[in-house]
Amino acid sequence: MAMIFCNTLYSSSPSLSPLTSFRTKPSRFSKKLRARVQFRSMEDHDDHLRLKFMEFPYVTATRKQLMVDLMSTLEDRLQSQLLPCNLPPEARSFKNPNGSAEASIHIRSGQKSSPIDFVIGSWIHCTIPNVVSLNITSISAFLNSSTKAPNFVVELIQSSPTSLVLILDLPHRKDLVLNPDYLKEYYQDTNLDSHRQSLLKLPEINPYVSPSLFVRSAFSPAASMLKIDVEEEGTLEEILRDHVSPAAKEVLGVWLERCAVEEEEKRVMGVEEKLELERRDKSFRKKSIEEDLDLQFPRLFGEEVSSRVIHAIKEAFGVL
Amino acid sequence: MEFPYVSATRRQLMVDLVSMVEDHLQSLLQPCSLPPDVRNFKNPNGSAEASLHIRSGEKSSPIDFVIGSWIHCKIPTGASLNITTISTFLNSSTRAPNFTFEVIQSSPTSLVIILDLLPRKDLVLHPEYIKEFYQDTALESHRQSLLKVPGIKPYVSPSLFVRSGFSPAVSVLKLDVEEEERLEEIMRDHVSPAAKDVLMVWLERCAREEDEKRVMGEEEKRELERRDKSFRKKNVEDDLELKFPRMFGEEVSSRVVHAIKEAFGVL
Repeated sequence: MAMIFCNTLYSSSPSLSPLTSFRTKPSRFSKKLRARVQFRSMEDHDDHLRLKFMEFPYVTATRKQLMVDLMSTLEDRLQSQLLPCNLPPEARSFKNPNGSAEASIHIRSGQKSSPIDFVIGSWIHCTIPNVVSLNITSISAFLNSSTKAPNFVVELIQSSPTSLVLILDLPHRKDLVLNPDYLKEYYQDTNLDSHRQSLLKLPEINPYVSPSLFVRSAFSPAASMLKIDVEEEGTLEEILRDHVSPAAKEVLGVWLERCAVEEEEKRVMGVEEKLELERRDKSFRKKSIEEDLDLQFPRLFGEEVSSRVIHAIKEAFGVL
Repeated sequence: MEFPYVSATRRQLMVDLVSMVEDHLQSLLQPCSLPPDVRNFKNPNGSAEASLHIRSGEKSSPIDFVIGSWIHCKIPTGASLNITTISTFLNSSTRAPNFTFEVIQSSPTSLVIILDLLPRKDLVLHPEYIKEFYQDTALESHRQSLLKVPGIKPYVSPSLFVRSGFSPAVSVLKLDVEEEERLEEIMRDHVSPAAKDVLMVWLERCAREEDEKRVMGEEEKRELERRDKSFRKKNVEDDLELKFPRMFGEEVSSRVVHAIKEAFGVL
């Protein structure tokens, strides 16, 4: 979910330029999407709402392509393990009655036998002309307590045409100080830090530090938490296409291969360990929702829409 | 404790910090009981020299031990590596964070600073720990202020484990300047006050917890012990066991590392 959303909204200076609307053009990939959707129409009867989510309106073509590619890869690879999205329609697509904010959420739970708890994609668009223009697109994957492997998260937060915050990580689900083997298995052996290091070599990319101490502590020591600042929009597109996109796809690849598809023998875990994972996962989700959604959604979408949506999210997250 | 081989400003800062700790904790600390050849040791070929000062806490105190150290090591470029450290470790009668301040210098115009209150609990599982020890302390504001000083940039440790041990408000900084005097200025005007302030916060909030705050269940104590032990063990492995033999030779190194492991409780 939009983890650092609230903090970005209040820490970044408001955009002074009028909101530029990026309309998406019909293109090859939307035809492919339609074909794929028709093929699966028996399984996923909420096609049109999923399509609406996958539109990722209000963002550039490159960014939309990246989100669509990542979500498609996730859903394709985990196909048989994921149930169709069963959020109520009014939680899948909603807006502020006065039109200043709009959002879409796509949550698919994992089958009981799979290590996937659920995957969640979302976008939030918030605009007050000449005051603020915010576009957040995220995809996260959450595992359940039958596995200790890390989760996956990619999030792009853009508040101006020439600057963007990127979060790309496999957030750990165990205390790394207490479990240095976990660090080795999922972070050292995967060379995860190399993505962060490569991205930081670009002059336009600098580290980003979340204003929230909790958010900082939830991300892994190899997390890419980066701010991209450019002179021209074109450069941002280039960076997204040539650097961010490959990095994000590689990290998702690592997650799919090493974390999401653990063989049965690796997944045998003691009751104690399962309970610990459940406690920690729950603490993380609860605090994230508190710090992020509980605080910001009412302001963005009004009390009524907000409480309905947050309720649905809390239910999916298992922290009702 | 003496701190040779480093600039006057840096020496003064280290001495001040050690004095602050020893003055405040006075009766809570036992005298240093390290054998002389562990308190001061060198590589037989003279290429490296170091000093260790460890004082254990009294049984009834929340202090496990405090440790001050310096390492001076000649490097092939002709320059020398100088590390000065002061750290405090609390025991499982309290969950409060530890204090650490370290300066690592390998050139006259650049150095790395680490200043932190190291958390002793998993912050995702215990978000209230963040509120209690970090939200209302000066640590984060010092981090932000220091990063505003020209010449100071964030530094990222090559070790993932080291990164994972720090608090979310840690100052891990690289000072890079044109002239040595500027380095002295920054140390004197910015780093020194920050380090002293954070140490004072630690002394007042973490080291002297009143008895009623320190009541803890058996479960919690055991968790703290396990985590503290894991942290210390990995630190000694990754840092000392890796580097000391090269710096000081096998014989000196194993004697010193043994003494440290004993003090750390990870023999």
